[in-house]
Amino acid sequence: MFANDNVILRMQGIVKEFSGTRVLDKVDFDVRGGEVHALIGENGAGKSTLMNVLAGRFSDYQGRVTFDGRQVRITNPRQAREMGIAIIYQELSVLPNFTVAENIMFGDEKAGRWTRKLDRAFINAGARDIIDYLGFDLDPERKVGRLSKARQCLVEIAGAVRRKVKLLVFDEPTAALGSEDVDKLFEVIKDLRSRGLAIVYISHRLAELPLIADRVTVLRDGRKVGARQIHECQISALTRMMLGHDLVEFFPEKRNKPGKTILKVDGLSRAGVFENISFELREGEILGIAGLVGSGRTEIIRAIFGADKARGTVLFHGKPIVGRSPYLCRALGIGMVPENRKQQGSITGRPVSENLNISILGRLSGVLGFQSSRRLKSQARLMIERMKIDPPFPHAGIENLSGGNQQKVIVGRWLAAESKVIIFDEPTQGIDVGTKSQMYRLIMALARAGRAIILLSSELIEITKLADRILVIRDGRLVREMQGAEADEDSLFAECVRKDNPE
Amino acid sequence: MTTDAKKPGAGRTKGALSFQKLQQASILILLVALCVVASFRSSTFFTWTNLVDNLFTNAAALGVVALGMTFVMIGGGFDLSVASTIVVCSVVLVMGMDWLSPYGAAVAIPVALLLTVLVGVILGAINGTLVAYVGVNPFVVTLCTMLIFRGIAQILTGGGQTQQVRDILLRRRFDWVYDAGLRLFGGGCEISMPILIFLVVFAVGMYLLRFTRFGHYVYAIGGNEEAAWLAGVNTHRIKALTYVLCGFTCAIAAAIFVAKTETAGAESHMGKELVVIASVIVGGTPLGGGSGGLTSTVIGLLLLRIIDNLLTQFSIGPEYRTVVTGLIILVVVTVDVLAKRRSGK
Repeated sequence: MFANDNVILRMQGIVKEFSGTRVLDKVDFDVRGGEVHALIGENGAGKSTLMNVLAGRFSDYQGRVTFDGRQVRITNPRQAREMGIAIIYQELSVLPNFTVAENIMFGDEKAGRWTRKLDRAFINAGARDIIDYLGFDLDPERKVGRLSKARQCLVEIAGAVRRKVKLLVFDEPTAALGSEDVDKLFEVIKDLRSRGLAIVYISHRLAELPLIADRVTVLRDGRKVGARQIHECQISALTRMMLGHDLVEFFPEKRNKPGKTILKVDGLSRAGVFENISFELREGEILGIAGLVGSGRTEIIRAIFGADKARGTVLFHGKPIVGRSPYLCRALGIGMVPENRKQQGSITGRPVSENLNISILGRLSGVLGFQSSRRLKSQARLMIERMKIDPPFPHAGIENLSGGNQQKVIVGRWLAAESKVIIFDEPTQGIDVGTKSQMYRLIMALARAGRAIILLSSELIEITKLADRILVIRDGRLVREMQGAEADEDSLFAECVRKDNPE
Repeated sequence: MTTDAKKPGAGRTKGALSFQKLQQASILILLVALCVVASFRSSTFFTWTNLVDNLFTNAAALGVVALGMTFVMIGGGFDLSVASTIVVCSVVLVMGMDWLSPYGAAVAIPVALLLTVLVGVILGAINGTLVAYVGVNPFVVTLCTMLIFRGIAQILTGGGQTQQVRDILLRRRFDWVYDAGLRLFGGGCEISMPILIFLVVFAVGMYLLRFTRFGHYVYAIGGNEEAAWLAGVNTHRIKALTYVLCGFTCAIAAAIFVAKTETAGAESHMGKELVVIASVIVGGTPLGGGSGGLTSTVIGLLLLRIIDNLLTQFSIGPEYRTVVTGLIILVVVTVDVLAKRRSGK
């Protein structure tokens, strides 16, 4: 029996509550040696909490954990580590000022008995053994801080392997990597799998799963929705499992009539990131931009908005925008809802009213730049009502709102500014289903009212259901333009991952 | 789901607000308590002479700078160079008046004052440009300009000689900035000129910070600079302007100091930048910015000054007063951190 299924980890009926709220509800999960098991779900579905149970971050979970044939109760991170569990987080935990070898051997150094002098030869030799064993291309004596993110990730993997890890968890490892690095990482993961390690691969990006995973478990709202062999199911089926069957029906019907060109991007390039991007955007049009993470799609729209520098021109109403900056774009009537709500969207510590009004304070100013607080509040109330922001108080601190409501505030900011072009970068990331459908209807309504929309999303279904036209970005290049009607989720995914030179 | 999320969210907001208020109030309560204790222990504490003529008047000049510093710190910045800026400004003021004295007081004083303000604004703009447009860390920038400005003052004064306006009449005329005042209650009590200047700056500052777009932007930048930038705020200009404003307040303070001492020295006001920063922090504007305000800075300044005044009245030496000041800042900030940690969980 043991040899037959070779289960390294089995978690049964895991329950975890945070102050009365159940975030994991009787979740079952298992991983076998020599298998990559993907764990997927939306933000807040419970993926990270489940892995944190495994990492020993919580001592008050309920349920049974069997690891390597023995029943265990993991109560602290150290215990998890000693058992042979390693988690590689998106934010890597390498020491940038240490060398590769020092990082790999960290915690296992040898020092001279009397002098207490570090035995460098031992460290370098030990690290060299591991690197050679794994076949990595790493120089043990280089400082880790000077390596690329992908290489740093390899250092962390090597360190885990040195500690004789049996189970390796990757927590959204590709979020910060370019597509070439993603390919390399996938090869490494496959290699580790062939060495008999059990691997958990966490992601909310369905697109990459067929490339790497053997099995997939879907979580939604703290419950296990199901587990499948990856080759048995299509992306669209997984999407439905992840989002809930009914979400597909949330999408309103498309009936936009694009007008004349409002924004023209001409030969936009940034060395090593994207190259020669040209396209047009028309009034009343929703333009979807699809691509894997790291394809350069976010960088392209940031450059259009002037948040990053880039070569090339952007024409607004036929006139080039000279010296693009968010400040200038805002004044012209271009708005952007940024990818990372917490870091780039919400102005923390400030009330909802200020967050809503920040882009239109110039218009609200009276004599001597006077800002009437009555006027600010009534303006904010209008937008709160229109966006159905909850709680409906202009004075509430924005950080106290749920993710979905914060997103409504940030979108409301550009509605108040009456922007003609609105760029949405991952507008539905980490927000609840209700707000999502509201966002879809809003985007549609804006387009119908003649606004031009650029929509970026990792959830390809959103792009296929909303966009009139879709641009596919691969490795920083615009490789294909599709009509919204001709694309479905699976074909769009195929476009995003297709290799330029098929074997 | 939605109704569920509504209640705790709203409750937390109110809780956070009242908590903040409570914290602000706690320093005010401490201030009042100190005053009450002081008036019982010392018969001279609660007199017009001690409080207004002595304490408030002496605190006014640095108080003006603390107002400017509050703008910088709410915007998430920091300015170590204020004392050096004051020194350069006062040297420029004295040398300017001396140089212009042949034209008579009616020309010399306003022109020299204008020049001083210009110098203060330029020095602030240097800090602001380096911090906001170039993007160097404000601590590093202002640490360096602190040294550079002090050095410039020493060069201007030929190696640090104390400067004085040679024309006695002109010198006396300028004393007006310090000695004049507003008589109240039939001349029994007088509010001195430095206090009046402070009140005017305070009123203008309040208006700027609370009721203008600029003020909103300063808070927004301190709250989340990247988000403000992506919301289309010209964050560079706003940030630079806070330093310019701070330089401007330094020039005003320089005028008060010059009128008081009738001299300007390159070696004076050593370490005053820390007093100014301490008042802002004790008042409740956090390092990193985003919240705080001018009123809290005034409370912080008064708290430090009154404690200092009390210790003087009980004839405790300056060396102990420095220790006490340091301890107070430490206690206030520690309590703040602990309280936030508790409320955060």
